[in-house]
Amino acid sequence: MKRKKNNKTGLYMLGGVVFIYIGLFLFDSAKALQAVEEAFGVLKMVLPIVLVVFFLMGLVNITIDKEKISRHFGKESGMKGWFYAISAGVLSHGPAYVWYPFLQNLREHGAKDSLVFAFLYARSIKIPWIPLMVSYFGLSFTVFFSLYIVVASLLQGLVVEAFSKAKR
Amino acid sequence: MLKMVTPMLLAVVGLVGIFKTYVTPEMIKALFNGSMLHDMIVGVGVGAVSVGQPFVSYIIGGELLKEGASFYGVAAFILSFVTLGVVQLPMEFGIFGARFTLWRNFLSFVFSFFVAYLTVLSVEMFG
Repeated sequence: MKRKKNNKTGLYMLGGVVFIYIGLFLFDSAKALQAVEEAFGVLKMVLPIVLVVFFLMGLVNITIDKEKISRHFGKESGMKGWFYAISAGVLSHGPAYVWYPFLQNLREHGAKDSLVFAFLYARSIKIPWIPLMVSYFGLSFTVFFSLYIVVASLLQGLVVEAFSKAKR
Repeated sequence: MLKMVTPMLLAVVGLVGIFKTYVTPEMIKALFNGSMLHDMIVGVGVGAVSVGQPFVSYIIGGELLKEGASFYGVAAFILSFVTLGVVQLPMEFGIFGARFTLWRNFLSFVFSFFVAYLTVLSVEMFG
């Protein structure tokens, strides 16, 4: 599942969004301005996480070689790899999209797709928000919900692995 | 990678701003009707296109329950709210490629139904 890089994709996306904003401004400038303010609020929230992710990417590129990634997250990683991927997913902060570049970096260094899938699904468990979830939906809901998410993370990864093997 | 990712991130942040301004919790509430299957399908769909901090989905979910939405639908909504993301889809395509992105979103979509169903069933049986 490796891909060819297209450096223009991001610029096209940003251009498209700017175009949408121009349209919204022409239609209702006050509401469009409100959307810009909301976007700045989101940017302020994600910026520290983005910086951490970029730092981690640099660290992986400079200090960790493909052999190490392969040992912990690659074909030889075994049970340890699943444990690391799911735990890291549960503990990771911020929106999923800020983690995409880091995860792609790990894939390029030999991390298995199945572990990236498991990481991304395990992110549904949000430890800081657990008390709020308990207060809204109850303790038993929160426990079963979290438990099934861990199982689903593992199953998703295993499905991907099975299909990758079948393809080979 | 940074050159490609930075404009993508700004684009996604821009789309999130638009969503938060133009889509209100009242619009979301109007889509649920209390039937298990209908609310699960709507929950997964609405969760997939919604954006924001996870606690937003809990607050909306709590309100939906008060308004008579099915617990199965609410569980599906709060799960797909964090696992699926239509707004971030172009960035996911751009970074991981089409096959990875389609696979991940397809599996997350399918698993949203299973996890939501099993969670509420377990709560009803043992909770």
